[in-house]
Amino acid sequence: MQDHLPPGIAMVKSENLEEWQMDIKVLDTNPLYLDQTYRLKFTFSNKYPIEPPEVQFIQCAESTGTPRSIPIHPHIYSNGIICLDLLGSSGWSPVQNVESICMSLQSMLTANTRDERPIGDQEFVATNRRRIRDINFVYEDDNV
Amino acid sequence: MNLEEFLAMEESRERDELIDLRGLDFVSEYDSHLMCPICHCPFVDPVHLQCDHVFCGSCLSSAITTIRSADSDDFPCPSCRIPAKEISTSVPRLLINMCDEIRVRCPLLTEGCEEIIPRGHVQSHVEKYCGYRLVPCPDDSCDKMMRSNDVGIKTKCMHAVRFCPRCQENVVEQDFEEHDVKLCPVLEVPCTDCQTVVTRGELDAHLESCPEVAIPCSASKYACPVKIRRADIATHEQSCPLVAMGPYFEGQNARLNSLELGMRHLQQRNEIFEDGLANIRSTLMESTRVNTSSHANRSSTQTTRDQQPRARPEVDSADSEDIATSIFSSTANSYLLSLHESLREKVGQLSHAIIDLDARASMTIMNESLRIKEDMALTNAAMNSVRMQVQWLMNPRLHQGPRGAVRANNTTEGTRTQLDSSASTAGPSTSSAQSLGFLRPRRLSDTGREGTKL
Repeated sequence: MQDHLPPGIAMVKSENLEEWQMDIKVLDTNPLYLDQTYRLKFTFSNKYPIEPPEVQFIQCAESTGTPRSIPIHPHIYSNGIICLDLLGSSGWSPVQNVESICMSLQSMLTANTRDERPIGDQEFVATNRRRIRDINFVYEDDNV
Repeated sequence: MNLEEFLAMEESRERDELIDLRGLDFVSEYDSHLMCPICHCPFVDPVHLQCDHVFCGSCLSSAITTIRSADSDDFPCPSCRIPAKEISTSVPRLLINMCDEIRVRCPLLTEGCEEIIPRGHVQSHVEKYCGYRLVPCPDDSCDKMMRSNDVGIKTKCMHAVRFCPRCQENVVEQDFEEHDVKLCPVLEVPCTDCQTVVTRGELDAHLESCPEVAIPCSASKYACPVKIRRADIATHEQSCPLVAMGPYFEGQNARLNSLELGMRHLQQRNEIFEDGLANIRSTLMESTRVNTSSHANRSSTQTTRDQQPRARPEVDSADSEDIATSIFSSTANSYLLSLHESLREKVGQLSHAIIDLDARASMTIMNESLRIKEDMALTNAAMNSVRMQVQWLMNPRLHQGPRGAVRANNTTEGTRTQLDSSASTAGPSTSSAQSLGFLRPRRLSDTGREGTKL
């Protein structure tokens, strides 16, 4: 899989089987994400792929040489946590892999036209101390 | 079989599996279609669902136990999410054969087995044929394991501790043979150079002092190729020119190093100075531009002739003045030349613009004249039609002239003028009633002609 990654997806770090980092780009001309690269952090439990990995966008400072930000999207909180049924235990399928998750996120960004954060973003970011897998998202929006 | 039977079957199967078929080292490339979408390894005991998706039995059972909501008798297929109730273990033989055909390394590679075998044979190889598998020691009193290869050769227990009579040490039986022949420190070995025999433990110390051992000349780092017996090295070193030169070489080396260090410092300083110089040059260039532009405005026509006299005095005085002045004059020259060039370019642009304007003006004139010509042609046509009508109106009058003379001999002149005025203002259709009476017979024959004219 590492040899033939689809366009716009690049592996950054995969030294161990607990945490990987990937870079994704949106390839079409969506002005919200044009010429931007975003970094994803995958955290695998020892039950992967039966259980979903924890996936979130992470920020990288300018000084690292590869500045990365959190993409703006009505389902992505400003701390990088993604609200996507695919990544929850209800929508997860063991057939999914890192590549397919990256592609799903690419298409999720591509299809978005709204330049906004989720409702209650500030409150969530300020108060959430739970691990990603313990958050109970309600997947109410079927459009994205 | 249904879900429950399948789960029960998988549970019982997991116990008798000894080797992890997914952790094997696959030597040959295999088709990605032979890969379970869950574990990404070639299928192990594949099963398939109604939707025709195939998975390893164990992968599917663990997926089911986590995906399935409690007590429902179906679950979504991990690949396509179609609900499945039945699980079939009868997948095509072809698929199983292809997966079992893939060649792998024996999992006992770490023990020393380097065999490459089809995956289907791994289980039996490790259980029966691999010479590196561990089997219980043939001695009943020993509970250790040993390689099956060794069992046939040695029938006694290889784990018993044996006492080496020479070195007074305990050695495990399986290592004793090697210890006895090679490793025992009390074993006597001959020195390779002198013929004295020493014990293994003392060999290293002996080699340090043995007069027969060949050692390199102490000036070997200054390229002395001599390598002779220790006994002779002293005489060689006395005559070796390189040894005599040794201290001198060392001093030179030290000097070279310090010089290199100084050079590097100087290079760095030089770079800094060069940067500074470039900065000064650029600021000078800018100030020159300001000066000469004011000068050029005063006498822009004389730019080329001005260059020489302006530059020369400054060049002459350059030796007494700062070096920046010469830079100044040369930049002034080049600036004037460039100014000249830019003026020439501007003239060129202007002439282009004039030609362009000329072409545009002539185009508009032509367009206008064409329009006027057309208008004139229209007016001519209209005038012609008016003339025709007047003529037509005049015709009966002219014809009637001789007849009207009977009716009103003395008023002919008056009636004619009256008719003319009415025709020119109102046209033929509203002719005055006065002329109606004698017009009627002519009009009947002339209606067609009138239509075409109007």
